[in-house]
Amino acid sequence: MTTTTIPINSKPRAVKPVVKYTWFKERAFSTPLDTLMTLVFLSVICYLGYLIVDWTFLNAVWTEENVAMCQEATGACWSVVDARHRLILFGLYPYELQWRATLACASIILAIVLSCFSFFWTIWRLSWLWFVGFGSYYLLMEGSLLGLQQVTTDEWGGLALTLFLFSSVVLAGIPTGLLFAMLRRSKLPVISYGISIFIDVIRSLPLLATLFTAAVVIPILLPEWLHGDKIWRVIVAFTLFFACYQAEVFRGGFQGVPKGQVEAGQALGLSSWHIFTRIVLPQVFRHSLPGTINMVVMTFKETAIVIIIGFFDVIASANAAIGTAQWAPYYMEVYAFVGFIYWGFIFLLGQYGSYLKRRLSNTSH
Amino acid sequence: MSLTTNDQNSADEVAIQITDMNKWYGDFHVLKGIDLTVKRGEKIVVCGPSGSGKSTMIRCINDLEKHQSGKIEVLGTILDRNPKNIQAIRKDVGMCFQHFNLFPHMTVLENCMLAPTLVQGTSDSKAKETALKYLDKVKIRNQADKYPGQLSGGQQQRVAIARSLCMNPSVMLFDEPTSALDPEVIAEVLDVMVSLADMGMTMICVTHEMGFARKVADRVIFMDAGEIIEDDEPNAFFDNPKSDRTKLFLSQVLEH
Repeated sequence: MTTTTIPINSKPRAVKPVVKYTWFKERAFSTPLDTLMTLVFLSVICYLGYLIVDWTFLNAVWTEENVAMCQEATGACWSVVDARHRLILFGLYPYELQWRATLACASIILAIVLSCFSFFWTIWRLSWLWFVGFGSYYLLMEGSLLGLQQVTTDEWGGLALTLFLFSSVVLAGIPTGLLFAMLRRSKLPVISYGISIFIDVIRSLPLLATLFTAAVVIPILLPEWLHGDKIWRVIVAFTLFFACYQAEVFRGGFQGVPKGQVEAGQALGLSSWHIFTRIVLPQVFRHSLPGTINMVVMTFKETAIVIIIGFFDVIASANAAIGTAQWAPYYMEVYAFVGFIYWGFIFLLGQYGSYLKRRLSNTSH
Repeated sequence: MSLTTNDQNSADEVAIQITDMNKWYGDFHVLKGIDLTVKRGEKIVVCGPSGSGKSTMIRCINDLEKHQSGKIEVLGTILDRNPKNIQAIRKDVGMCFQHFNLFPHMTVLENCMLAPTLVQGTSDSKAKETALKYLDKVKIRNQADKYPGQLSGGQQQRVAIARSLCMNPSVMLFDEPTSALDPEVIAEVLDVMVSLADMGMTMICVTHEMGFARKVADRVIFMDAGEIIEDDEPNAFFDNPKSDRTKLFLSQVLEH
């Protein structure tokens, strides 16, 4: 907005403050009415800001030991988070084993962070990264394969479970979505029509119905040896749901690659495989980046829906944290804490998305 | 360079032989019994009104379009449905497109190195050396690390020519290489094409640049409605066209 008014060749550092000031002056104080509105809204914003800062920081009680002061304090009672954060983060996971859950979460978060660096953007590096990150999560959480005490998946919970569901779904969903998009472009009508009917059916069902089917209906229909763990059934269903939407995102990406790109590759004598992997796919990923980021953000939030089919995700464990008479009054603080976790993740993801977009737009068009 | 040996030792050798080639799009008969022989080192300019099938014809030579009957033989290889033959022909036939079709996600240098490393198994350092040599030849070496989107149309087309040359082709096809360019940059692309012709490259150019045709072409071919109407050397073609359709076309093209 403000940057558009800067002449192209000027040095932004020197000019920016002045431009900002005049821009603000022109927009906000050009008529008496504008001035009045500006002043009114500025004071409202300042007052709200003061209230939030006052509640969050100035008059807040911070530690569990000082919980008695919460009664008189006018600010937030963060004692509840201090006291109950392990329940929120790890749910019903055995208390004395929660160091394992901490390490497990760290390994997934590390894998997510490392995947953001272009160094890892090759099939092999990404596969290895996630094989290790995911493998160590499972080994640490489950435990029996490492010779530790076994913790079954129904005891997993809190943020640890949310992270696990989210990363499994995105990780399996993106390649599956790509596969669906490619099948949909197949020249064989049986395959392309078959997959588009499948995609349309899954997309026309609510996510909840899909997950409910996986969690409750499948065990009734299938013989027992085919049931598997409930968590895996739900992950498979969620992944299919994600993949069907992601397939449409990729389809748009494929349509954005001009036919001439393939022809140029053919004319140079490249094989179909090289044309696909070196010329088409990189451009498909570029075109589908905004849609993919959108899908990832939505999936992170939608994982909360698993509460309904009996999982103890971060929202459910937050509810449990305020489920006692002592802590019940401080639900606001707990939801603010969980909200901050969601906001932090989505904010970072959004920032990363726009960084990627800037980076890619430097290199094309 | 291999280019110069080609043209001196084998001046009479046939590079491309097209016999009675036909192509239909559904019911529409696009190419009607095309016969064309191109010798090594020959420069052919193909012109004609839009929709006359000239682009389709040269796109059949490297199988970007499939012909339905007739025979195409390129550098001794018969173009049939055998992928090996198609691949062999494509490796030896370079092509430049109207819209350049550079790969936007790679730098100029990477564009030029891709095919040699993947198709011919050239080492990175060797491919880079070749790429820089041809980028130098098209006078764009200083832009090697830029992306296509940062270049002008004329520069992009010159990169596209260099990219094709990196495969060391024996034949170059040009499909309206200057039609998408601003008038002031057409000359820089034509200059590169003229220097290619001077090196003895076998070239088939679909173009409306009649000045280029007069200066460079050994033969000018006029196509209309899927047929070759006239095939003559430039002076005869421009000064004494035989067919009425050619006369009409030339009067439309040259009068302004």
